Amino acid sequence: MNVIVLILIILFGGSALSFFAKKITPQASSVLNFVAILSATVLFYTSGKPDAVNFSLGGFNLEWQLNDFGYIFASIVLVLATLISLYSIDYMKGMPHLGYFNSNFMLAVASMMGIVMSNDFISLFIFWEIMTWSSYLLVIYKGRHETSKIGIKYMIFSAIGAYAMLTAIVLINSRVGTTNISDAIELGALGSKNILIPILLLIGFSVKAATMPLHVWAPGAYSESPMSFTALFSGALSKMGVFGIAIVFSALMMDIQFAISAIILQQVIMWLGGITAVVATFYALIQDDAKKLLAYSSIAQLGYITIGLASGTKLGVMAGLFMAVMHAGIKAVLFMAVGAVERQVGTTDMTKISGLIKKMPYTFYATLVAIIALAGVPPVGGFVGKWMLYETLITSNSYFLVIVIFLSSTAAFLYSYRILFGLFLGQEEENVKDVTEAPITMVAPMVIISTSLIVVGSFPGLIFEPLAKGMAYLGYTDVNWNMSMLQNVWGDQVDLIGVSTTIATVFILAVIFITLKGYKGTRQVSTQDISTSGEIPWDHENMNYQQDFFKPFERAFSGMYKGNMEKFWVEIGGAISSIANFVRKIYTGNGQTYAIYVVSFLALLLLILNK
Amino acid sequence: MCSLFLKTSHQKNTSTPNNKNMNDIIMTVTAALVTTVMAFAVGMLYGGIVRKLTARVQNRFGPPVYQNFIDLMKLQFKKTNIHHGLMSHLGPVWIITAAVTTLMFIPILHGGMLLPGFSVQNLTFQGDLIFIIYMMTFGSLGMALGAGETGNPNSAIGVTRGLSLMTGFEIPFVLALVALMIQYKTTSIIGFMDIQEQTGTWMMFANPFSFIAALMASLGMFRYSPFDIVGAPAELASGPASEFGGKYLGLMMSGGSIFAFIKLTLYVDVFMGGAHSIPELLIKTFALYMVPVFYGWVSPRYRTEQAIRWFYKWPLIFGVMAILWAIF
Repeated sequence: MNVIVLILIILFGGSALSFFAKKITPQASSVLNFVAILSATVLFYTSGKPDAVNFSLGGFNLEWQLNDFGYIFASIVLVLATLISLYSIDYMKGMPHLGYFNSNFMLAVASMMGIVMSNDFISLFIFWEIMTWSSYLLVIYKGRHETSKIGIKYMIFSAIGAYAMLTAIVLINSRVGTTNISDAIELGALGSKNILIPILLLIGFSVKAATMPLHVWAPGAYSESPMSFTALFSGALSKMGVFGIAIVFSALMMDIQFAISAIILQQVIMWLGGITAVVATFYALIQDDAKKLLAYSSIAQLGYITIGLASGTKLGVMAGLFMAVMHAGIKAVLFMAVGAVERQVGTTDMTKISGLIKKMPYTFYATLVAIIALAGVPPVGGFVGKWMLYETLITSNSYFLVIVIFLSSTAAFLYSYRILFGLFLGQEEENVKDVTEAPITMVAPMVIISTSLIVVGSFPGLIFEPLAKGMAYLGYTDVNWNMSMLQNVWGDQVDLIGVSTTIATVFILAVIFITLKGYKGTRQVSTQDISTSGEIPWDHENMNYQQDFFKPFERAFSGMYKGNMEKFWVEIGGAISSIANFVRKIYTGNGQTYAIYVVSFLALLLLILNK
Repeated sequence: MCSLFLKTSHQKNTSTPNNKNMNDIIMTVTAALVTTVMAFAVGMLYGGIVRKLTARVQNRFGPPVYQNFIDLMKLQFKKTNIHHGLMSHLGPVWIITAAVTTLMFIPILHGGMLLPGFSVQNLTFQGDLIFIIYMMTFGSLGMALGAGETGNPNSAIGVTRGLSLMTGFEIPFVLALVALMIQYKTTSIIGFMDIQEQTGTWMMFANPFSFIAALMASLGMFRYSPFDIVGAPAELASGPASEFGGKYLGLMMSGGSIFAFIKLTLYVDVFMGGAHSIPELLIKTFALYMVPVFYGWVSPRYRTEQAIRWFYKWPLIFGVMAILWAIF
């Protein structure tokens, strides 16, 4: 049997099975979830390149095949889904509606695999809708009043995206007479001549990637879903938007009839990405809830990725895709870590917890590495993507955009520190006294991904290789890459092996020095034992600094916090409803009015025809 | 003449670690050690000179210029040391790691030489300005983690102030550097030094706005008054460092001194044509160092938000003008 069909059968079938498996025990459904995804992953990597699947549906030719570009995203989805479903077994233990959760989880995975293997727009759209619905059902999993509001917001924006995409598909079919993706691109359906089609497709894809101004659903949806799904949501599902944006932009850039409209669209999208990055970062750093913080940070990171893809240069697209892979790993770890904290402590409010480092050391390690990668500090993987993005923008005349990105990355240090300090550092609070480390099935996936982020920091070539192949499929041929050397178009380089060996050598020497020097006279004291500048605190007086963490920053940039995208959409909603109100007046319910409409329409028609 | 430098600075293709012989490795390590010691000594000495000068300006007698070395010795010989856990134990290690690593990627003298007399190269050719900017944050972030774990609220407040301040001065600094990058189509420090050698014009004259913006950014970078909000004497009890003493504080002090040298050398390399000899380097760096110090003598401390906003007025305008200068 064809491998593609087999993988889809395993995943879709698994989805149905795990719904009924909860009848045995709820736990069985979670385990089945993991086993099914694991077997699909194993099958995916052990079988060679699968053959194409062709069949006809309602007069359209559907084609499923795994190309080199889809392979990147299929890997992201499968690897993340396997590790997250392992994590999910213990995370979801004891929670209600496990069958519902697991079957939708797997449905989301299956539909994402469908999307990356679709070679035509019709099946892409069908899988896209399955993905939207299954994720919607998981967003409203908690079933609270606020949750349903957030769910509706997500659904409305997804619907806007879906309509835009559907319109684009219809237009493509009417202009070039095919819905096959590569054929349509070859015939120039996504080129500057038909600029409306790329715009509509970008709207559709940008909703999932949560680019401004279509991001409004994301903070709520990311933080309200169960964390084991959010890890997949932000890690893999948002990458489907990236997948689409990359295809649209490469088609636009490769088009022979390249026109000014394409450049305008490119600049608009790049600046939208830049503004997304800055504004989301600024909102991330004033959040007190760790989940909300990560949700905003997720939006910001996708802004960078969008810029990279839209830049259209080889280095830029490489940077965008590389950051997409990195971000998948980073956000999966971070959401899993916050989920672990939530499960062990009971809250993710950073003003209520602190000092978890000694209670949950492995979770801290995973979070630390992921945060270093997120901040883009060498020698961890995140730096590679950041470096490539900066160099792209500097070498391709986007001088002011690079400053915007720099502001956003520098401000990202603030929320990076906030989450590490808020959860793990500071004085221990009373309520974390009896907290223990999360179970091994939850810790292991985080540690595995984190450690691989370190490896990629020195050997980014491991990821460049599939990326270069994927880019060749998109039309960016002859992409230069090295196992551990970065290079821009001006020939300036960074040798990552040199960097990481120097860091490791100095670090080890310094650790030996500071540990051995005066070893006997060195002792560890508790976090209560601190200098208080002469004040004597009460026994239970905790001096944790958690409230209004970045208040001075907020004051300095008070202008940035005034605008609100939510208000903008409420205004738009109001405008639409007043237009609808006006349109409704046409339908008076009076037969005579309708008769006038008919007569005047006929008169108009006659006038036009007579001309 | 220039081809000589280009040749030395682009040797990366021919010499990989694998075919280096033992002698080369020993030379490299020795040179690296000597550079580190020199950077440390110069940084400490400059600190001492500033303490003395500041005291004279304030009509005090002041400590001797070698006071910093005495302080360091005292710290290293403390019999008891305390820490608050692994991260606070490692905090100073991050600083020294970042300082030494960054130093290895900064050309001290022309041609990427570590020191005159050593015919070996720095690792300079493998890093560019963007890398340096990010590498410099590595230490402060590590230190921030160490300071955070101590549980002292003053440390955490100091760290948040430091990070907030960074969002201020980084922007004019990056604007200045990006202006130079697009003007001369290179991002490597060696490249900038070569260009200045070829044209005979220092960058500070080739793009004056860029230099002004970078100089203004340096005021925040060195954290002298009015930007001494992180340590904030008499307000935050020395901020992030408040829980560190003995060997920990000693290592932090050494790292800080190396960083001071790094920042000064970076400015000299990029804007003032680099240096051909150590005395030349010392004169140029000392002249640069006096700018934040002088400004500090006559300015009272800002509040954090005032400090950040300060960078979004004139420094930002000069930075944007630098870019416009580079384009047109």
